[in-house]
Amino acid sequence: MLSIALIGFAGFAALCLAMEKHFNELLKHKPRPAQLHALRVGGWLLLILSLVLSVHWRGWAHGLVEWAALLMAGVTLWVFGLPYMPRALLGLAAASLVLGPLLAVVAG
Amino acid sequence: MKEGFRQAMAWLHTWTGLIFGWLLFAIFLTGTLSYFKEEVSHWAQPEIRRHTLDPVTSLGLAQRYLERNAAHSDSWMIRLPSERDAALNVGWRDPEGGRRGFVRKDLDAQSGQPVDARDSRGGEFFYRFHFELQMPYPWGRWLSTLCAFIMLLGLVTGIITHKKIFKEFFTFRPGKGQRSWLDGHNAIGVLVLPFHLMISYSSLVLFMYMVMPASIMASYGNTNGYFNDLFGRDEAPKAAHVATPLVPLASLHAKVQALVPGARVGLIQVQSAGDRNARVIFTQSSADNVPYKRSANWTFDGATGELLKQGAPESAALMTSFSFAGLHMGNYAGPWLRWLYFAFGLAGTAVIGTGLVMWLGKRQLKHARSERLPGELRLVEVLNIASMSGLVLAVAGFFWANRLLPVALHGRADWEVNTFFLVWLASLLHAVLRPGRRAWGEQLAMGALAFALLPLLNALSTGQGLNVSVPAGDWAMAGFDLTALACGLFLAWAASKMLRPPKPVAKRAAKAAKVSAKMVEVQ
Repeated sequence: MLSIALIGFAGFAALCLAMEKHFNELLKHKPRPAQLHALRVGGWLLLILSLVLSVHWRGWAHGLVEWAALLMAGVTLWVFGLPYMPRALLGLAAASLVLGPLLAVVAG
Repeated sequence: MKEGFRQAMAWLHTWTGLIFGWLLFAIFLTGTLSYFKEEVSHWAQPEIRRHTLDPVTSLGLAQRYLERNAAHSDSWMIRLPSERDAALNVGWRDPEGGRRGFVRKDLDAQSGQPVDARDSRGGEFFYRFHFELQMPYPWGRWLSTLCAFIMLLGLVTGIITHKKIFKEFFTFRPGKGQRSWLDGHNAIGVLVLPFHLMISYSSLVLFMYMVMPASIMASYGNTNGYFNDLFGRDEAPKAAHVATPLVPLASLHAKVQALVPGARVGLIQVQSAGDRNARVIFTQSSADNVPYKRSANWTFDGATGELLKQGAPESAALMTSFSFAGLHMGNYAGPWLRWLYFAFGLAGTAVIGTGLVMWLGKRQLKHARSERLPGELRLVEVLNIASMSGLVLAVAGFFWANRLLPVALHGRADWEVNTFFLVWLASLLHAVLRPGRRAWGEQLAMGALAFALLPLLNALSTGQGLNVSVPAGDWAMAGFDLTALACGLFLAWAASKMLRPPKPVAKRAAKAAKVSAKMVEVQ
């Protein structure tokens, strides 16, 4: 369950960074178009991966509901935490990107 | 999209939001509390102790109690203890006793003895209030259904009004007055939108039979036949008046376990116990499935123990509507998902609350320099304060009454409810008498004290404070106390913001004027 939350969280973080405005603000330099494109594709792939894992582990009924709940919670934390502790959240997103799939492999 | 259409939608969003916002806030907050209905009830009746779950023993105890005390009744009901509800609840129909001819007892799940718990509605009060609004049947249900419809309308018009839904998907800018309120309102609305849509649409599904009864009336003539078909209920055969002992219910429980391994049993109904025509109906707990389905039941012959009937699986259409009902109530949710439900419920409450604050804030700016607000704005201000901080105080009042009213008081449960409404009324008066910002600050500070001190009050009055409940692993009790504490801290933070002098008005007004020029959203 935790791995789904982490992968989804990393996915939304990537989608957020894929927007030029947020990229500038958070990483303090201008993105190249290819970077934005990669972030967008990567973000969507992470979201899809978390959905597939959730449904695979928990079935359609529980899987869909839990996936939606975890993603909503994660993105709300991201958006409302960002103005106050951007560094911590970026770190958390990076950690999720590593830990999420790792936990999935261990659990799977 | 044409600007005229968007403006019309913005108008609708603004005004339905204002008129129904106060009531919607109360419905959302009490509804959110209902996700912890059993836990709140457990806190409200600390006399009922939690034991390790053992359905077989519990069934035996319940059967023995009912055979001794309710042999004369033709209809029994047993509700087994669950992870969330500690009590072994039994009830029987008795025209001469109990409320509405039905006697209920909470038994201790280990000893089988009735527990003399204090008279309290507990979580049931908030649960009932969130769709009946303390009004006589069916008016409260109608009004809350209307509110659900308005909420759905508010979401749809809100999305239409909010132009930059994708561009500002990740945007929240704090510390900028009206701009921040709008950001917060939009962000919580959009990010948790699937929950908001689900909760308001499913409320309409839940009360569909009431809102659109035409098709039911046309095919059944009344709603009873419809519900019998819907939930697969049968008329039980008449008693044969031949005494036959009831089979041990535990043996029937074993048969259910053989059919569906690991099934948790919710309600058990026994008809004509001790008769040759006795019937026993086991219903699977709604905690076992996401959809709130009623087909998971098994009817046994109470004299022979033979399985007579199993609920037939629902049609796809019914399954869809039961899924919405199940999603709304969240009975299936385990601890962490339940907490998320609670958080999203608070998010919905916050969307409504921020909307109400913005409606007023925007109009107040025009009068920032004058001494007093025009009457209609003052009215909105008073109602905002009473409906938000006042309600929070009323909830706290309910819990304080639960601990402070004498246990032997006649009509005790009613007095808890009365306290709730009296505190609410008092906060309305207070809001009328005090200037807006002071009233907010004082009520929030009062709420902070009331909630932060609840764990202490609990420890002193019942001896089941955090020092006892945490080591004992009674997480329903401990969770309530800790949540009250967290709530108190949050209210204290909010109160400190309101009690501090506001930022210089001129600067705010100038900034806000610039912002409102940019804001076509909220008219």
